[in-house]
Amino acid sequence: MCEANVYINRGSGDELLMEKVDRIVPGEDQSIFMENIFGERKVIKARIREMELVHHRVMLDEIQEVDHPVHEELWLEPATDHGHFHEGEQVTLKLFKGYNMKPGHDCEFAGLKAFIAGNGEAKELHIHDHHGSRELVLGQENDGLLQVWAEEAEGNHRRLASVLVEVGHHHHHGLKPAGLDLEIFPTDYSHARMGESYEIQVLQQGKPVPGAEVRATFAGTHQKDYPHRLVTNDEGKARLFLTARGNYLFSVSADEVISTFTLVKSF
Amino acid sequence: MCKNMPPLELAIQFHGHICPGLLIGVRAAELAQKQLGVGQDNDEELVAVVENDNCSVDAIQAILGCTFGKGNLVFKDYGKNAWTVISRNAGRAVRIAQKFGSTAGPASDRFRELAGKPNLTQDEAAEKEALIGELFERIMSMPAEEIFTWQEVSAVPPERARIRKTVRCDLCGEGVMETRTSIRDGQTLCPECQLK
Repeated sequence: MCEANVYINRGSGDELLMEKVDRIVPGEDQSIFMENIFGERKVIKARIREMELVHHRVMLDEIQEVDHPVHEELWLEPATDHGHFHEGEQVTLKLFKGYNMKPGHDCEFAGLKAFIAGNGEAKELHIHDHHGSRELVLGQENDGLLQVWAEEAEGNHRRLASVLVEVGHHHHHGLKPAGLDLEIFPTDYSHARMGESYEIQVLQQGKPVPGAEVRATFAGTHQKDYPHRLVTNDEGKARLFLTARGNYLFSVSADEVISTFTLVKSF
Repeated sequence: MCKNMPPLELAIQFHGHICPGLLIGVRAAELAQKQLGVGQDNDEELVAVVENDNCSVDAIQAILGCTFGKGNLVFKDYGKNAWTVISRNAGRAVRIAQKFGSTAGPASDRFRELAGKPNLTQDEAAEKEALIGELFERIMSMPAEEIFTWQEVSAVPPERARIRKTVRCDLCGEGVMETRTSIRDGQTLCPECQLK
């Protein structure tokens, strides 16, 4: 007999997790995969504390999910499932408040403002209250790549949300960050595609922020918390391999500011 | 659709969801295109002979345009992850086969287990989503040499599909391809009515 029983300590002593385990494979993210002789499988976040090979016992200590502070953030999404607008089409952006692309209920907004970049300056946009949700209606006269952001000030806290929205079929080069206090910006604007890496840069007052934790998620995720956490390199850049349909949201915090960037995908 | 969709997106849209089998098919289809110097089939210039009927074949259909309806998709029920793509114009064919175990591992095992469960809990759905992401990046980033073996083969493409005459079944009254009918007691019958 060479299989073992696996026990786990979840904080109140060892309890049997799985019997007759004959395969244990440590995985990424501190996960441990195990399979027993009955073909049952489990993946659990834990570390191996002790292996009593003579007694066929493996003891694990559960790794508790780190409770990241759930803070509300703002984000913008175009009101189209098409990834872009066509010339002459009404351009509407929806403004959300919540976390992990899951809007909160009955959110209240304080000191909300929205802007669009144009000719080197920011022009303030009117924010519509549409049945309790907030919308930015940009009209039908737009063309090219629109750089829009919103900000909310609540006491010492500031929430920023930015997005790039394409009107028509354009390729853009030389796009510049808006110069927000804290900003996530794509390093090379192009059509983002599934199955490809997408690179962003974190800037604070225009300067790259190395070592910043950037959270990333996508519309419709089943995860309770952000599924991806990236760390920026010396140039303040981080990359994410895109594996989901729809829009992605990147989020970063520093001091009292939380800033998001919505990556709009056409598929 | 405003722009030509890239192969991966074509395949996902056609198949309806993302899974490792489809992604293997995407890689196989793109490898066949590269090896034969071809794009997507328009009118039976390409023929695919597939040795399985799993998710990968939807990628072959979507990306190469070798489809069941056009008759340039030949199914051989061998249960093998292998695909032969024939270019009539180039007079060349390549057979691509997945290396045994090339994508195997705990993540793949666990994904298969979850994919086979009819009702997933919220935690299991989240776990499956994470596994798809992990396998997605791995399959799409692996060098083709690590996933597949391939070689040029001499394959004779089937005849181009013919358009046959449609006749009326004397029993059910529905139209049926003439070559599929038989005459019984002076009546022209479709295959279904022949069994009645």
